[in-house]
Amino acid sequence: MKITQDLVQGALFSIIGLVALVMALQFPLGTPNRMGPGFFPVVISALLLLTGIAILMRGRLGKSEVIAMSRWWPIAIVTVAIIVFGFLLDKLGLPVSVLLLCIGAGTASITFALNWKAVAGAVAFSAACGLLFVTLLGLPIPLVGSWLQVLAVR
Amino acid sequence: MDIFSGLLLGFQTASTLTNFAYCFAGVLLGTAVGVLPGLGPIATISMLLPFTFGLPVDTALIMLAGIFYGSQYGGSTTAILMNLPGEASSVVTTLDGHEMAKQGKAGRALAAAAIGSFFAGTIGTLFIVIAAPVLSSMALSFGPTEYFSLIVLGLVTSMVLTSGSLLTGFGMVLLGMLLGMIGTDVNSGAARYTFGSPDLLDGLNFVVIATGIFGLGDVLANLENERSRSATVAKVSSLFPTREDWKRMSAPIARGTGIGVLLGVLPGAGLLLSSFSAYALEKKISKHPEMFGKGAIEGVAAPEAANNAAAQTAFIPMLTLGLPGTATMALMIGALVVQGVQPGPNILSEQPALFWGLVVSMWMGNLMLLILNLPLVGMWAKLISVPYKYLFPLICVFTAIGVYSIRNSAFDVYLMALFGVLGYVFRKAGAEPAPLILALILGPMAEEYLRRSMLISHGNAGVFFSSPVSMGTLLIAAVLLVSILLPGFRKLRQEGLQEVD
Repeated sequence: MKITQDLVQGALFSIIGLVALVMALQFPLGTPNRMGPGFFPVVISALLLLTGIAILMRGRLGKSEVIAMSRWWPIAIVTVAIIVFGFLLDKLGLPVSVLLLCIGAGTASITFALNWKAVAGAVAFSAACGLLFVTLLGLPIPLVGSWLQVLAVR
Repeated sequence: MDIFSGLLLGFQTASTLTNFAYCFAGVLLGTAVGVLPGLGPIATISMLLPFTFGLPVDTALIMLAGIFYGSQYGGSTTAILMNLPGEASSVVTTLDGHEMAKQGKAGRALAAAAIGSFFAGTIGTLFIVIAAPVLSSMALSFGPTEYFSLIVLGLVTSMVLTSGSLLTGFGMVLLGMLLGMIGTDVNSGAARYTFGSPDLLDGLNFVVIATGIFGLGDVLANLENERSRSATVAKVSSLFPTREDWKRMSAPIARGTGIGVLLGVLPGAGLLLSSFSAYALEKKISKHPEMFGKGAIEGVAAPEAANNAAAQTAFIPMLTLGLPGTATMALMIGALVVQGVQPGPNILSEQPALFWGLVVSMWMGNLMLLILNLPLVGMWAKLISVPYKYLFPLICVFTAIGVYSIRNSAFDVYLMALFGVLGYVFRKAGAEPAPLILALILGPMAEEYLRRSMLISHGNAGVFFSSPVSMGTLLIAAVLLVSILLPGFRKLRQEGLQEVD
């Protein structure tokens, strides 16, 4: 089966709508006079479900554009690199985490090459980020993270 | 406080050395990030947000406004020099702007855009000065029913004006409202859609979602098609418009400004409608309509003026009602709330220095853009030609640090990554995310006002038709919805948006 835009939209809307509706039904509905926490979510998620179904039906009538996927790995690499960054930020400190994110995300490019120029650039940028965000702007992010501090103490 | 003492207070606030310097820094940074291909105002503002966190409220707001103008202007530079519009409203600029650049008249196109923007910005600011106090005092008499109807109108217009189908726009609005419900319900204290996670009790942070969808989503989409990214940047020639140029562009600038000032105030109507109706008008009344699309300076000056005037007056509903009309304004509200300011009708009476300082700095920001950016255009052109492989890791770093620093939460970074993927999926599925962003911030307000209205009326929905303001607003929304279903308007909208595509 070809994956069309309408199929993706319809599936996304109806699945989220259905799940949200089932969850919303567990909240007290209240009355129109005094709406409970469930009232608005039930209305909105039901409408979302219906919209999703309508888009799926429109997709059955044809004419929706087919989605072509060419390369999925850059998407995976960048997403994982950012999640790892979030996890390591207070453990390794800002400069080291930025360095890892730069190089990690960089591998997603088709023209990526790990040469000394790229590494030197990334190191300089990480140092600049530490200086700018922590020293100058005073964001409460450690320059040396908790894991590295433990190492230093030993 | 009358207008003159207000303006005086504004000049006092905006012209302190600190505020002036931060306005300047904001314009410069905003332009620098905004010229980068693919980074529209939303992504630019959310990336630069952490720079404003440590500042006092008025300084932060002034810098934000500078970033906002800079990012918008930077987008036109990219549109003209590279044929890559950063956001939908600068698509019209590419039609004639890039054509002029190809003919070796890039400098004159940039000058037309800058001059048009400055003129429009000045008139737009004056309009705010006159209209905002009036609307503010009117807004004080608005009850929950009026607010609810205005929100409905805003959401309907944002749906009608997306480039996809109406049904898709409706789905995106609903999805945005659902995302807005995540967190603790203020009235009952019930935890809704939190999946038991304490991180979700406060709800999703708006800036996190916007950064994910617009900043990261764009990186992912670009990386997928990295090979096909064209990187030809037109050369910048002489910046001075000829006498003939002045003659041809002055009237279009004035007309574009008029259109932009009026359309900018409408909630949800935003920049897209103003820039493309200004373009359509010029083409219609021109003696040489065949010149359009082939490098007509009118086709650059008018939409750029309209765009900038609308960007200016879009501040009016946000400042006076607390209702954002565009996704960018929604982001500005998000930024204000981070600063501890709740925009609304009281802001003018309770924080006059903040309000007037912002208004005056708007005009100063526009002036800075004009005198700063034309001479620097060569530098921006160089910045545009930085290869994407060096650029995107830096975008990832800035978005991640920015999102983390809002409340020092790694959870928000994970959330942004998730919404980046979702933003990528939206793009692939042809679903424009702007209505979702708007609904994310308007949804919770809509629920709150709906509840209060129903409580006042004892559950009678007729209350929305009892006040003239509320009924009028709903009527406009209904007419918009019906008109889009009519075949004639449908054809017009399709043609209009196609021209934009």
